[in-house]
Amino acid sequence: MAQVLLKALNKKYDEVHAVKDVNLQIRDKEFVVLVGPSGCGKTTTLRMVAGLEEITAGEIMIGDRVVNDLPPKDRDIAMVFQNYALYPHMTVYDNMAFGLKMRKFPKAEIAQRVQEAAEILGIHELLKRKPRQLSGGQRQRVAVGRAIVRHPQVFLFDEPLSNLDAKLRVQMRVELKRLHERLETTAIYVTHDQVEAMTLGDRVVVMKDGWVQQVGEPLELYSKPANRFVAGFIGSPAMNFADVTMNETNGAVWAESHGFRIKVPADRTDRLRPYKGQHLTLGVRPEDIHPVGGADSADRSFDAVVDVVEPLGSEILLDVKVGPTSMVARVDPSVRVKVHDPIRLALAPERLHFFDLKTELAI
Amino acid sequence: MGGSGRPPSPPLGARDAPAKPWRPSRRSRDIQLAYLLLSPAVLLLLSVLAYPVGWGVWTSLTDLSPLKSGAAEFVGLENYRRLAGDPEFWRAATITIAYAVVTTLAKLGLGIGFALLLARPFRGRALVFLAIFLPWAYPASVSVIGWYWTLNPPISTAYSVAMGNVKYLVDGMLGGGAWSFLSVTLFNIWRGSSFIGVFLLAGINAVPVELFECAVLESKSAWRRFWLVTVPLLKPFLALAIFLSLTTAFADLANVWMLTGGRIVYPIIGTHAYWLAIRGGQFGPASALSLTLVPFLLAVLVLLFRAFDRAERERA
Repeated sequence: MAQVLLKALNKKYDEVHAVKDVNLQIRDKEFVVLVGPSGCGKTTTLRMVAGLEEITAGEIMIGDRVVNDLPPKDRDIAMVFQNYALYPHMTVYDNMAFGLKMRKFPKAEIAQRVQEAAEILGIHELLKRKPRQLSGGQRQRVAVGRAIVRHPQVFLFDEPLSNLDAKLRVQMRVELKRLHERLETTAIYVTHDQVEAMTLGDRVVVMKDGWVQQVGEPLELYSKPANRFVAGFIGSPAMNFADVTMNETNGAVWAESHGFRIKVPADRTDRLRPYKGQHLTLGVRPEDIHPVGGADSADRSFDAVVDVVEPLGSEILLDVKVGPTSMVARVDPSVRVKVHDPIRLALAPERLHFFDLKTELAI
Repeated sequence: MGGSGRPPSPPLGARDAPAKPWRPSRRSRDIQLAYLLLSPAVLLLLSVLAYPVGWGVWTSLTDLSPLKSGAAEFVGLENYRRLAGDPEFWRAATITIAYAVVTTLAKLGLGIGFALLLARPFRGRALVFLAIFLPWAYPASVSVIGWYWTLNPPISTAYSVAMGNVKYLVDGMLGGGAWSFLSVTLFNIWRGSSFIGVFLLAGINAVPVELFECAVLESKSAWRRFWLVTVPLLKPFLALAIFLSLTTAFADLANVWMLTGGRIVYPIIGTHAYWLAIRGGQFGPASALSLTLVPFLLAVLVLLFRAFDRAERERA
């Protein structure tokens, strides 16, 4: 149990600045997910915590120790790798016992810890098998078991579910979450999958190009993205973006584009008024676009044409065209529309996002 | 192609259709066809392998010799019996085994060192790789001369005097010819460790890097990590490297001949057989001598393939 502190952490390779000034305080027992597209620096950050990469600048603290110069073995961490990293020449038992054996634990204690972990993970009957005799999900459990037996201060997960098929991934995700609630160990988890990040993380760190974009609880990231990148990265289908021009008529602020005109709610007028006459990016989540009758208020509704219909059962995704702009709306499955149908849509004005065109920061 | 009675090929895609009544017979036809297609390769192998080996076996059972007029006579196991009683044979066999074991151990040690050195990136790795690989890539006949002149300098300088002293010192301690046999051993190690190094490097590169990283997380001691992780993971590659090294040493002839200029004081099986056959004209005993290596190599092969095969199956 320990908190992990990253202070102005940097990693530079010859020409690549992979991690830039990352500051992060991971609380004791917290499950923090680093998420971002490939090359964003999330794995490098994790590997620096593990000690597999040297730190170019900055400081890492685990518990109350600065670990910059500690070898990985003495950092009291356990890591789960994407491809499981099980030793093919060892049985499941030996794989799980590996770390303890390397640390010269007494045999009896190794046996007890492995049994305990095997019970937690339900892999008791597999202990005598070799990794090649296991399915992907079982291998991943063994890899997690190998980390558990070490009773580390911090778990490090490097995309542990990426090699599993979709169904198994969902199942293992739930198991990992349950496991974390049971073990109450600080965990840092790296993934490129925003769904995994949202479902697992107590807090989520979104990274891009080596920079931390935003740190927050999952729903906070979803409802209050700090910038356009986070807004587009979190959520599926992704947020719709449109270039709009801000105007003021009779004291009300309007966002205008080809084909639609939306009245900014009164409580946000003051913040957006300074952008009068300027271009901004408007962001709308698919579920904040609803089909409405023709009589709906012109303050928030507009005409569109259905381009693609994707019925998913519990919902329908409608790709629509509004003038030159494409948007995706997530609508009720009872909505009956066909391709090329005209449709009247309304936005939820209180849930609109505005981003500065240049800085891409949320306004 | 023996296709006279075959039904016309079904259209593409129909192959994967659920089992139909004619499928089993089709399968056996496929197997026949497979053998048919393999037959040219099998014939080629038979002609370049089985024939000479068979001829060698036959010769070893006769008194075939260019010095003898008349046809070769079948003498049964006489040639082998004579070998067993020949101290010169036992001497050659002992030297061969010592030569093979010593060079293999040295090559393996150096090769592993080279492979580990080259496994991680550092500035100038390409150059070091080249330097390590060059002894293998360079034609042996040329590098042999280089070695010969290094150890037995053709022009008299202070260096040649020094090397001459070393030679007399070694020969004085171990007997005449020891120096030149040492040079054969060194040459074999020099050339072979280059190959084994590159071979094992390929092996290391085939192992997912996480398996090594995972060990780094658990132990500071590179030595423990090497024995508990690297060696077991490289087992199939090590087995093959050992086998290749042993066979080249057992069957060595050219290097010994070239480095000693044919003045062979320490014969190995290869040189002894050559001596018997070419210089002595005794084809029968020479063939028998060469064939004594076969059971030995076979045993080594079986042992190593056990290790190799098991590891290979576990890899999956």
